[in-house]
Amino acid sequence: MLAFCLAFGAALMLGAPPAAAQAGRTPPRPTRPARPTPHAGSWEVSGGFLWQGGFDLGDRSAELTRNPATGTGPFDLFGSAASVGSGIGAQGRIAGYLSRNLAIEGGARITRPRLNIALSADAEAAPDLTATETLTQYVFDGSVVWHFAPFRKGRAVPYVAGGAGYIRDLHEGNGLIETGTEYHAMAGLKWWLSSRPRRLGIRGEAGLSIRDGGFDFREGRRTVPVASASLIYIF
Amino acid sequence: MSRRIKLALAAAFVIACAVPAAAYLKLGTRVGNRTVTLAWRQFPIRYFVTNRDIDGVTAQQFRTAVESAFGKWHAVPNTTTSSQFVGFTQANPVSGDGATVLGFQNRPELDRTLAATNFFIDTTTGEIVESDIFFNSAFAWSTVDAGVTGRFDVASIAQHEIGHLLGLSHSALGETELRSGGRRVLGAEAVMFPIAFAAGDINDRTLKADDIAGISDIYGTATFQRQTGSVSGTVTKNGRGVLGAHVVAFNPASGKLIGGFSLSDDGSFVIAGLEPGPQVLRVEPLDDGDISSFFDETMNIDVDFKVAFYDKVVVVPRGGGTRNIELKVQPK
Repeated sequence: MLAFCLAFGAALMLGAPPAAAQAGRTPPRPTRPARPTPHAGSWEVSGGFLWQGGFDLGDRSAELTRNPATGTGPFDLFGSAASVGSGIGAQGRIAGYLSRNLAIEGGARITRPRLNIALSADAEAAPDLTATETLTQYVFDGSVVWHFAPFRKGRAVPYVAGGAGYIRDLHEGNGLIETGTEYHAMAGLKWWLSSRPRRLGIRGEAGLSIRDGGFDFREGRRTVPVASASLIYIF
Repeated sequence: MSRRIKLALAAAFVIACAVPAAAYLKLGTRVGNRTVTLAWRQFPIRYFVTNRDIDGVTAQQFRTAVESAFGKWHAVPNTTTSSQFVGFTQANPVSGDGATVLGFQNRPELDRTLAATNFFIDTTTGEIVESDIFFNSAFAWSTVDAGVTGRFDVASIAQHEIGHLLGLSHSALGETELRSGGRRVLGAEAVMFPIAFAAGDINDRTLKADDIAGISDIYGTATFQRQTGSVSGTVTKNGRGVLGAHVVAFNPASGKLIGGFSLSDDGSFVIAGLEPGPQVLRVEPLDDGDISSFFDETMNIDVDFKVAFYDKVVVVPRGGGTRNIELKVQPK
């Protein structure tokens, strides 16, 4: 970068007429060339839509202890099958570039998936029904983003990202909050709409979100697919 | 201050061979316009055991089984009950003598009653001051660990009766079928279900979630209140309250079933002692058997509606309650 600036300055000097011949005129001031963006110190903000895959919570019967005189195994009062559906949400992120390739990013995501519990096979013939609830899931996260060499005349920039975050799942009515940790690994592409130093672009990415805690019926980690599309602005 | 004390209902019967389905219910008494929960205020509960051997069970074996049953109720986490065996007595387990006595009596005329619990209560406060449990020696009994076919298990029946002694009424968490000669239990998920399994069965030695929620609702500590939650609302049919509807909360994560009843004319119900998290609600009429096993026969219990699930997942908060749930049912 320094070599580039020096060379550019020299070219300006070489190209300028002698000062004596320019009497009465203000010599043009050498302008500092703009550094290509992104560079260390660049910032990028983005906002857009998010899709998060659903997951199965398993089947479980409402079991009564069977009278041994009537058979073996539990007596099923009814059956249940629970799942969290996929959800559409929104996200906002801000990134600071440490170099042309490396950025640190933080952001927040919100999705509102539906919890479905299908109830069936009632011992007293209650009609089958799916009971539902809408969850509000927040993730506040941080990521390290590595950008690869651009192509398509610098407009397309592939990248990978990985990081961790804090999960905050709210049930309807906000009466119960369940928290946890999230880890994610993403890959995506940024497409800049111009080559100006400050410019707009679009960003699409997909990857895996590994949830440890938050709302679930079981202990342990669960992996769900995520994808997003955002409008980005770099400056 | 003088206290008016009287003998109150013999609340608890275990009927030998038949009956109903589905939740926990606390014993109560009317004081003016309100109902107060029956409960012991003084601990440990000091009890005697009738010094009478019967075929297959000595008084000492009976005492050991009873002590074990008391111990399981006292071991429920975050509750405050305790008891103390005082000694053997020649007295029968009858109310009004000032002593809490458990023991055998030969009552062949009660041919469908294995055991029963009576109370002596302070009707101004609901405090239980004495309670007696008789076991009907007209039936065959056993205290053998694995149970004995054809003999009722003292520990299992004691578990149920001591639940009454502590203030619990019957749970309806079970299913029955009609057969020639009466009803038969298909399954139950509460020691406090009013009908025993067949002689020889020992399943009722183990407290279920419904029993634990019930005893915790009466004697729960502040920790219990903080760690669990409740759901409440109304059961309605054509816009009017349903009295005596049985509402069951099912936790699809743990599989636990805990029930309650709508206990007023507006159909209000409360189920406490629930684990925080999503619950499914199911409502059914109390139509599997004898309503008098659960309620005063003068109450106008509505059994004319269809079994139904609530179409929303109900989320129970930790240390709080989810209120204003309306369970709408349809006439049969």
